[in-house]
Amino acid sequence: MSTETTSEEHTSERGLVDRLFASPFLTDLLSNRLALIGLGIIGMLVVVALYARFVMIGGLTPDLTPIVSSKLGTAPSMQGPCGSSKVGQSIQNAGNCPYPFGTDIQARNIFDRVLYGSWLALKWGTVTVGISTVLGVGLGTLAAYYGDVTDNVIMRTMDVLLAFPSLLLALALVAIFGPSLTNAVIALVLVYTPRFARVVRGAALKVLEDEYVDATVALGATDPRILVKHVLPNSLAPITVQSTLNFGLAIIDLAALSFLGFGAQAGTPSWGAMLSEGVNYGLLSGQWWWSFFPGLFLAVTVLGFNLLGDGMRDALDPRMRETVD
Amino acid sequence: MTSKRFILKRLLLLVPVLLGVATLVFAILHLSPGNPARVIAGARASEAFVQRIENDLGLNDPIWIQYGRFLGDVVTFDFGRSYTVRQGTPVSTVLQTFFPTTLELALLGQLFGILIGLPLGVLSAVKQDSLTDHFTRIGALAGISVPIFWSGPLLIMLFAVQLDLVPTSGRLGVAYDNPEITGLITVDTLLVGDIPAFVDAAQHLALPALVIGIYATALISRMMRSSMLEVIRQDYMRTARAKGQGAKITVMKHGFRNALIPVVTIIGIQFGSLLGGAVLTETVFNIRGIGTLLVEAIQSGDYPVVQGTVLLFALLFTLVNLGVDITYSYLDPRIDQ
Repeated sequence: MSTETTSEEHTSERGLVDRLFASPFLTDLLSNRLALIGLGIIGMLVVVALYARFVMIGGLTPDLTPIVSSKLGTAPSMQGPCGSSKVGQSIQNAGNCPYPFGTDIQARNIFDRVLYGSWLALKWGTVTVGISTVLGVGLGTLAAYYGDVTDNVIMRTMDVLLAFPSLLLALALVAIFGPSLTNAVIALVLVYTPRFARVVRGAALKVLEDEYVDATVALGATDPRILVKHVLPNSLAPITVQSTLNFGLAIIDLAALSFLGFGAQAGTPSWGAMLSEGVNYGLLSGQWWWSFFPGLFLAVTVLGFNLLGDGMRDALDPRMRETVD
Repeated sequence: MTSKRFILKRLLLLVPVLLGVATLVFAILHLSPGNPARVIAGARASEAFVQRIENDLGLNDPIWIQYGRFLGDVVTFDFGRSYTVRQGTPVSTVLQTFFPTTLELALLGQLFGILIGLPLGVLSAVKQDSLTDHFTRIGALAGISVPIFWSGPLLIMLFAVQLDLVPTSGRLGVAYDNPEITGLITVDTLLVGDIPAFVDAAQHLALPALVIGIYATALISRMMRSSMLEVIRQDYMRTARAKGQGAKITVMKHGFRNALIPVVTIIGIQFGSLLGGAVLTETVFNIRGIGTLLVEAIQSGDYPVVQGTVLLFALLFTLVNLGVDITYSYLDPRIDQ
């Protein structure tokens, strides 16, 4: 192969998927047991979420009544989970267990609500991380590529956003927008975007130093072409790692905002809102299951993303130690 | 050693960031829905009264005059007066009252994290791939994955409700006086020699500090492990061992200090998460600190308090990071060049 065969042709000959399989990244990742466990957790969660959204609730316009409001009269309220022997409450028969996680004060089936919560967590987690990634990648590559004033304006703005502890900035932003799940997502996007921008800028600067980029410039490639064809694909790995680790963080932060009453509002079957209700009304009176199960699902989900993210980071560069807070 | 020029440079770099922070916080107040004058006056106040308050607050001045005045106020730590619950109290006084509680909580949690996390990280690295290492790693990962607003209630359920070892919420039992000298209740009760009150305060603090401490431990031990692993493979470690120095002394004398550098950074960065964690912990344990203050202020539309709290947090966070950079250059003199 002659030296003229620059990455321009490389990219067209070998697609992204081929490149991924050829790199030691995937083999490293697949030999990491903890990362596989993480992948397994996320896989199961996706199945549960899809089941909850499309089978349990069904239809394109889902009937959320049974999980959002109570169906009083059909279920006993404050029923303990299967096998629990809470004094004053009937023990559910082991063989016949309609409420595996018990019911809350409004006689809502906590099991159904927790399952639907995984759909909400994945959906809003994807939206939050997706938008922050796109914005961060855009701003980061622009800053790296154009440098000078563009770089300074973008990165100094990011510095200001990074000067706030993340949850507090999100809280302050929610104070402007008003409490709701959508506004919590917008606030978190503004909080996460700078992190992506910084990671991407660093990765892009590295790529831009490579000689093949100079070669493509010499061949007359336009700015957008260089950015999309060369800079972006080659910065993909750190972006993916950052997205995965941030996914867990996004789910936990969204739940935290909901827990504080600034995200999903009371009654919504989101894990954070359920935890809030369970802690406020069920904790001291002994109804532990009300907050236990939503929290368990939340913790295991975040663990899954952290396991996978950690594994990806190790596979990408065992010495890369940059942690996100 | 640390050069004055380096510190000066870092301090100067701080100015634009802090100016940006102040501008953003100013924008928060002015983009917020609702009229502050209306919040102060109450829903049934007459239009004339609301307008009088607007004039008093200078809300009818051009925005750039308001902005200039705001910057002047910020420099003198004058954040205005609280609108609602503590109506008329200067925000700086409100912050002074609530801040020590949060500081006490965050510091104790951080201390817990450092005391347990550092040795765990070193142990985990020295015994890489052993059972100890696996347990520490998985434990640490679980520690950062479990949300504070879940682990907190679980601990309350176990230690406060079931075992009745500690109180479920608050900072000090009603039977005891809060001496209010430094604002740190455990310190104050000791200063006046009120041992029963100190024990009570410590019992109240135990669970919330544990919750924050677990999170801090997890972060620090993870960082310490990976940092130590890298240092262990360095040539100077092998040289020290080749000289005949014992393994333990080599790890402590040469390894620890070098491995500590990135860990100091993470301790600084996580201070921000700890402050965020304090908001959640205070809510869970019903502690009257800056965190619960902020949440209440947002709920009641008390924007000067929101503004003051957020500014204070940002300032603290930035200063801690500056402190980290300086410590960093002290630990590794090559940095400031």
